[in-house]
Amino acid sequence: MKYVKQGMKNIKGFTLMGKTGMAVVCVVLFLGIFSDRLSVHPYNLPSGSAFEAPGPVHWLGTDDLGIDLWAQICFGARVSMIIGFGTALLAGIGGSLIGICSGYFGGLIDKIVMRVTDIIIVLPDLPTMIVLGAFFGPGIRNIIIVLALFSWTVPARIVRSKILSVKEEKYVVAAKNYGAKFWHLTIRHFLPNILPVVMVSVIRLFSKAIVAEAGLAFLGLGDPTSKSWGLILNHAVNFRGIYFTDYWKWWIVGPSAAIMLLVTAIAFICRDVEKIVNSKI
Amino acid sequence: MRKRMLAKISEYLMTLLVIITLNFFIPRLMPGDPFTFLSSDEGQVTVTYSEEQIAKYKAYYGLDKPILVQYTSYISNLLRGNIGYSIYYNDHVSTIIGKRIRWTISIVIAAIVISSLTGIVLGSLSAWNRNGVLDKGLYTLMMTLSEIPAFLIGIGFLFILAAKLGWFPLAGGMKSFANYSSFADRIMDILHHAFLPVLTLSVVRLGEFYLLARNSMISVLTKDYMRTARAKGLGKMRIIFRHGLKNAMLPIVTRVFLSLGALFGGAILVENVFHYPGVGRLMREAVMVRDYVLVQGIFLLVAITVLTMNLIADIIYRRLDPRVS
Repeated sequence: MKYVKQGMKNIKGFTLMGKTGMAVVCVVLFLGIFSDRLSVHPYNLPSGSAFEAPGPVHWLGTDDLGIDLWAQICFGARVSMIIGFGTALLAGIGGSLIGICSGYFGGLIDKIVMRVTDIIIVLPDLPTMIVLGAFFGPGIRNIIIVLALFSWTVPARIVRSKILSVKEEKYVVAAKNYGAKFWHLTIRHFLPNILPVVMVSVIRLFSKAIVAEAGLAFLGLGDPTSKSWGLILNHAVNFRGIYFTDYWKWWIVGPSAAIMLLVTAIAFICRDVEKIVNSKI
Repeated sequence: MRKRMLAKISEYLMTLLVIITLNFFIPRLMPGDPFTFLSSDEGQVTVTYSEEQIAKYKAYYGLDKPILVQYTSYISNLLRGNIGYSIYYNDHVSTIIGKRIRWTISIVIAAIVISSLTGIVLGSLSAWNRNGVLDKGLYTLMMTLSEIPAFLIGIGFLFILAAKLGWFPLAGGMKSFANYSSFADRIMDILHHAFLPVLTLSVVRLGEFYLLARNSMISVLTKDYMRTARAKGLGKMRIIFRHGLKNAMLPIVTRVFLSLGALFGGAILVENVFHYPGVGRLMREAVMVRDYVLVQGIFLLVAITVLTMNLIADIIYRRLDPRVS
């Protein structure tokens, strides 16, 4: 509860850009949660003739199969949000825990963790994601796991360096001398210290994950059963007449605008959060 | 110094070994067995191998040996340059990749040169006019540009510059079935086709170099020797590019090599937008037809290239900055 209140206070400190970004993300979240109620048409079945221009019946037009694009974009918002939140939470929590262990215990654990992060940072992420996706199947769950596997290193490194300094603080040493165990220290003293810095990297991961999923889906290597924004674009670009007709005006512009809007909105939020966190330190 | 270098190189070799090991184990961790079914089209009778056939094929592919023996033979094959044989393209993986890699390498190098040079110039100007109108405008523009995913920028260029205005070809690396009257014609055609992919990749990377150059330049501009240069009455351009840039270059040079991994990732997306015949497109085709040997070969190649570039970045950084040792 305390954190929520503090968070609300911080949002009030956002710039106009940050507040707009927050609003956009909330709208996309809303679209994602209520995607099946917001559109009268289904997202996976034809509901009109092919290539209808945007109008009163089909707000954003239809694609080559006559499927309503607004319904598809609403459903795509759900996929993006699941991927974004899933990856950010998994990588944020996992990375923070690994970082805390690595910084607190040091020694062999620390050495191993640092070597592994070195290796993962060097690996080119998109090719590796394609390889893993190709071998283990491109379901949403697998995509989240693979993305998290590649992203936990960022929070882990930040948390580790923070813990290295926090564990030398007098109050932590005092608590330890009173017999505080690892979990107690983590929850009482480490978490409040690392939360702001983790926040920034988790928001970054959120947007990175959405872009990565869109890229994979655009290549046709994502989950073929989940209509994400990238997959709509993949269908559109692979349609043969797309360059010579006017269909792209709604078929491509819609999902592209959705991705761009969401990604820039998150970037604005990230910048404001970063500013607030930096001013506190 | 030499000792540290050796330690660094052995670190990279370790990473390489991990990647090779991953490459070896991934197909073996996959669910399923290639010899379970001979053919099983939907709605038809499933044909299975007999026990003897399975044993024969396992022996043929060496899969009946212990995993350690398989691993050592895999590595010794790699060392001899034998990455495998593609079932779909019916050719050695190294030959297939060899045919396609020069397309990728040329657009990646062109993009990195263009984006780093433009980024440096814009970043330096921005740092010089810090907090001015030019700086603020450039900064906002670059921040937004660096957020937009590569394939969206590519699609944008494709639809506006190629489809609507017709300035550039829609797809491919060169005209198909073309008879070139001269060598210059051929070069012009290739450049014409490469323009949009290179432009997209450069725009994608531009923000990173701009921000780096700007930050590096700002910290250099506050140094005392810059005040001396200004007091001597040197021209603005000379101060920025001769005195400032020389000292601000260090992080930029290393970033050029370090950003190669991300560029390869970007190249995969961009090549698929423009149907450019490089390795990125090949990788997608290979995944689509489930040619796993080829996918692994490409992955290995990309990983080795990126590792080498990282090593070079390390070496250059040490050479350029005598303070690091």
